[in-house]
Amino acid sequence: MTDSVANTPHRTPFSHSGWQIWPGLLLGLGLVVLVLMGIGSLLATAGNLDFEAVFSSKYLRRVIGFTVWQASLSVVLSLLIAIPVARAMARYQRFPGRRWLLRLMELSLVLPTIVAVSGLIGVYGRQGWFTALLNEGLPGHGWSLYGLNGILLAHVFFNGPLAARIMLQALEAIPAPRMRAASQLGLSGWWLWRAVQWPALKPVLPGLAALVFTLCFTSFAIIMTLGGGPSATTLEVAIYQALRFEFDFSQAALLAIIQLLICGGLWWLVFRQRINTSLMPNRQLGYQAPLFCQVWQPWLEGALLIGFALFLVVPLLAIALRGLPVLLPLSDTPSVYPQLLSATGRSLMIAIPAGVGSVVVALLSLASANRLRGHWQGVLPTLTGYLPLIVPPLVLGTGLFILLRPSLGNSAQGWMLVSLINGLMAVPFVIQVLQGPLSGMDANTLRQADQLGIFGWYRWRWLYWPQLRQPMALALAYGTALSLGDFGVIALFGSPGQPTLPVLLYQQLGSYRVAEAAGTGLWLLLLLITVFTSLSRVSRPAAVTAPASLSQLAPEAGHA
Amino acid sequence: MFSRVIPVALAAALPLFASANTLPELNVYTHPSFAAEWGPGPAVKEAFEAQCDCMVNYTVLDSGGDILQRLRLEGSSTPADVVLGLDTATMATARQTGLLAPHGKALEQLALPIEWTDSTFVPYDWGYFAFVYDTEQLPEPPRSLEALINAPDDLKIIIQDPRTSTPGLGLLLWMHSVFGDQAPEQWQKLSNKILATTQSWSDGYFSLFMNGEAPMILSYSTSPAYHMAIDKTDRYQAARFDEGHYLQVEVAAMVKTSDNQALASEFLDFMLTPAFQTHIPLKNVMYPAIDLGDELPNVFDRLIQPASTHYMAPEAVARERKQLVNEWLDALID
Repeated sequence: MTDSVANTPHRTPFSHSGWQIWPGLLLGLGLVVLVLMGIGSLLATAGNLDFEAVFSSKYLRRVIGFTVWQASLSVVLSLLIAIPVARAMARYQRFPGRRWLLRLMELSLVLPTIVAVSGLIGVYGRQGWFTALLNEGLPGHGWSLYGLNGILLAHVFFNGPLAARIMLQALEAIPAPRMRAASQLGLSGWWLWRAVQWPALKPVLPGLAALVFTLCFTSFAIIMTLGGGPSATTLEVAIYQALRFEFDFSQAALLAIIQLLICGGLWWLVFRQRINTSLMPNRQLGYQAPLFCQVWQPWLEGALLIGFALFLVVPLLAIALRGLPVLLPLSDTPSVYPQLLSATGRSLMIAIPAGVGSVVVALLSLASANRLRGHWQGVLPTLTGYLPLIVPPLVLGTGLFILLRPSLGNSAQGWMLVSLINGLMAVPFVIQVLQGPLSGMDANTLRQADQLGIFGWYRWRWLYWPQLRQPMALALAYGTALSLGDFGVIALFGSPGQPTLPVLLYQQLGSYRVAEAAGTGLWLLLLLITVFTSLSRVSRPAAVTAPASLSQLAPEAGHA
Repeated sequence: MFSRVIPVALAAALPLFASANTLPELNVYTHPSFAAEWGPGPAVKEAFEAQCDCMVNYTVLDSGGDILQRLRLEGSSTPADVVLGLDTATMATARQTGLLAPHGKALEQLALPIEWTDSTFVPYDWGYFAFVYDTEQLPEPPRSLEALINAPDDLKIIIQDPRTSTPGLGLLLWMHSVFGDQAPEQWQKLSNKILATTQSWSDGYFSLFMNGEAPMILSYSTSPAYHMAIDKTDRYQAARFDEGHYLQVEVAAMVKTSDNQALASEFLDFMLTPAFQTHIPLKNVMYPAIDLGDELPNVFDRLIQPASTHYMAPEAVARERKQLVNEWLDALID
């Protein structure tokens, strides 16, 4: 590679292969060091490490057992619901409002928990709409949201759409000739599933299951609000308890290690199989051949999609109804907009750099991981994509705090730190969005570029950028939205008086301003929708999404 | 599109990064309900700055536990001068860090239901834990803990988890003070009435109670004051329990390694003046730590008056908490 660089008249910026390896490698290394420091500092303050005490404690065995149990159930349910939805979405391309349903499916992942939970309670709670309907139609039904029911319902609400979205992507990646053949053979129902769809879904399932498992495993506020009592306790709750209430640092560190081992082990299993764990939708919808189908099928699948859309929309409506009176100017209470707007400004100041940062980190890590594939060092940049999911934020935060404290001079640095951590937390999701398109660059184009001596910056600018523009917009939306809804990290470091939107919401709650908090929740929801729709406009797929070749890139580049 | 937005956002952010002042700064670690725009924090800052010729900076941490944890991580290099927002549950642990300095004050103006003799911590407000109920859903609330425990199971209550929440721990200590060794048994009887045990007071109040999910929630006896004075509604009231109520005292302390000892001490003095305390009743929705006389809002006259006060010394709480939480867990998990 370096020889060919010598052929170019003057040195292309960033053309040395080190640019593709070192930044990603250093980022991965930095993250590992942070995690080790977080755990290490807890252990150092604590002194002794007593694994045996943890395992002999009935309480903790039960906590670990419950955590694994609810996460496993959530995975099974989320996938079971996602499969028929993804199949129906793949087939029913003309479903009215399909595009909005896609946006909704992206939204569920980034909704702040307290807002989503309040919506779910508004629908399924004791006074909820759904329960009221049930009382009408089916007296003595015995439905109660609180308990395992509620936990699973909420987890399916958060993760089902994510799973369906990723499966849809896999189904739409089925090569057109294969679909045409299936269509000509008149395959449908079970046979279509067996011969075409299952082989397409099989590779993404393990990674998907691991992702949903991890997200449910580390779930916290949902479990406590809807769990019904102390028997619903997850490891993350126990870590919080040990760290913030009992100041038992060794216990916290041990629990964090157990969590890392369980989730990390799972990811390692998935990773070892070398299967495609492209977890996030890349929005490159393929061409679909019409499929043979039974007369009743569109009705059935239409009904399924309507049901699923209602499942996603109704809680959002509950949030909207609750918050609307505050946001509408006709109410006689003092306007909430000055606070909302300034909090929105601060939130965006953190979220936009965090989104950009997460995209940059993800690209560097992917480049490095691709470059180092097969080398042992390749593990480091790969870790960046998984570690932030399984390290408890409290532990990560403690590590960062200890690492950066001497230089943590003023609040501006604090804001940047929050932005940095938010960015890091979003990296696993962003990587999944970018992975597919980045590695999907076809070999011919790359060879052609090699021959023409297009390297470094120009290779990126003319080859990758047009191809990655759309996925990057989606990745940016995810990174920004995840950071917008974040409460945990910012609360960890201590904000200087002025709140971001989620902090504002909690401050309003802490001061009994329940109605205003509902307004803030709705405002946050609207902001998230705006982020996704405005960025999806940038990333809307062009009519033809065939792999780009150099000749196709030229006109595109003009307005990029 | 975003390539254009980012520079603009950064430019807008720049003024925030600039800071230039030469006044001495008093760094106060506190929690959100104090520092929030509607909390007493902003008004207190203004009032103190007017008299001290200094700048008050709040660092807002999520809870009393976080304040303490931050202090421990920073050790003697902490920039904090004053910590404000600890309570009787965290006091003993905070004292053990050895990072706090004795206040050296007589504190004669204090008006608490108990006698205050602590040499490190200065109270700034107090309140009783109580069950707040919705009068529209529950016209006749139970009149004692015992009545609540023996009420029919279709009466649902929302409580907070003693492992993660201050009021949650308060209820645990309340039950322990009233029932002693019988407490686990009583918890078992209560368990069928507990609709949800939330992580924090906010989760329960916002997501559940105000959504009408249950007619009763563990809160403070002062909560109705806010609803009556600000929301102008008598709908939410606290139930007065015959066994008496458990007391929470919120405190502040000076940090030993502070460079601004004199200023920090002045702030603690200021804390017990009407200029600070008048903001407590409706902004922190707690009782002021001194007698405000006529300045106490009228709605406070309409709050319940507990027959007796339950209170465990901070050292006892620190010693017994883990044991009590474990008993609670054993009682509620079968």
